[in-house]
Amino acid sequence: MTTTTAPFAYRQANWPILERIREAHIRSWERLAAPGEWWSGAERISIAAESRRASALVDGSPDPGPGPVSLPEAATFAVHKLVGDLPNVSRDWYEQTIRAEGMSDARYIELLGVVAHIWSVDEFHRALSLELEPLPDPIAGAPTQRRPVGLADHGSWPPTLAAEDLAESEADIYDGQSGAANVREAMSLHPDSVRWLSDLFDAHYLSWVEIGGEQESFRVLTRPQRELVAARVSALNECFY
Amino acid sequence: MLRESSDQNGTLDSLDMHGAVNPESDSGVPHGGLLTAFAEAAVRQTDALAGLREQIQDELGAQQLVDAAGVVANFQRMVRIADGCGIPLDDFTKRASEDWREELGLHEFASAANTV
Repeated sequence: MTTTTAPFAYRQANWPILERIREAHIRSWERLAAPGEWWSGAERISIAAESRRASALVDGSPDPGPGPVSLPEAATFAVHKLVGDLPNVSRDWYEQTIRAEGMSDARYIELLGVVAHIWSVDEFHRALSLELEPLPDPIAGAPTQRRPVGLADHGSWPPTLAAEDLAESEADIYDGQSGAANVREAMSLHPDSVRWLSDLFDAHYLSWVEIGGEQESFRVLTRPQRELVAARVSALNECFY
Repeated sequence: MLRESSDQNGTLDSLDMHGAVNPESDSGVPHGGLLTAFAEAAVRQTDALAGLREQIQDELGAQQLVDAAGVVANFQRMVRIADGCGIPLDDFTKRASEDWREELGLHEFASAANTV
């Protein structure tokens, strides 16, 4: 199931895939394999493997099998909920999940980051009917268990970091902007997930700078076309936000 | 964002937001019907996907197809982050979008309870 390299060769692609997309996908696999703050590299790959199992369940395709290590039951359930039952994710469910054995708010946010980002890379492949990239081998090492300083309730379920409260170690996560988009701030309990989010956001959609201005010339769909696709995907997922 | 970009693009008058939620509606965005059909086929992984890819490649171009796949992939992720964290709408967006959210029936989405 795993490989020591992550070439992202897109072998079946008949279309020109920009090198900047490939580079972001490779960085995603490097991030996935490395120990996080709250999960080891092996656990993070198991979370990714579970998200592929959840997707296979939804699609009715063969079970791709589990990852290298077992996960807490609540973590496995959370992955399946986030992939296959998103409209029914609720605050009550979130509160139960973070209090379950082997979980916490920080472990939940890091798990959500892995699920969402791997899901995004996989969905790019599925949209173009490309074979999914094999998951990487884990990098050894223990989670740092470092919780950011300055977390507070800013309206999302998890505590988050406001731009004005960022410590030096997290100063880069909002690219120096004085007010972060809610979706970035929502993940800030796990700052590396915010960095990962921005990297793939730029590769697949727009940079945060382009959001408020002109899009780069290599983005060939017009801005309204881009936003229409975005709105349709959000509506199909019944996402109010 | 769709309204804002259409406004900046000078095409707001021809925009129909129903095109984002109802596949039968014409959004007014050039090739919008084809792009939303592709988005739906990609999200639902339907048999129509291969044909829609060919159609986008023929009518818009191969790079546009890859671009569209990237946007689908991005928002398949963003909705999970938004709904997985209970992200609130900021006050400005809430006020600015109140009327058409009601009109498009977005309050009927289960996730509306987590966001407003």
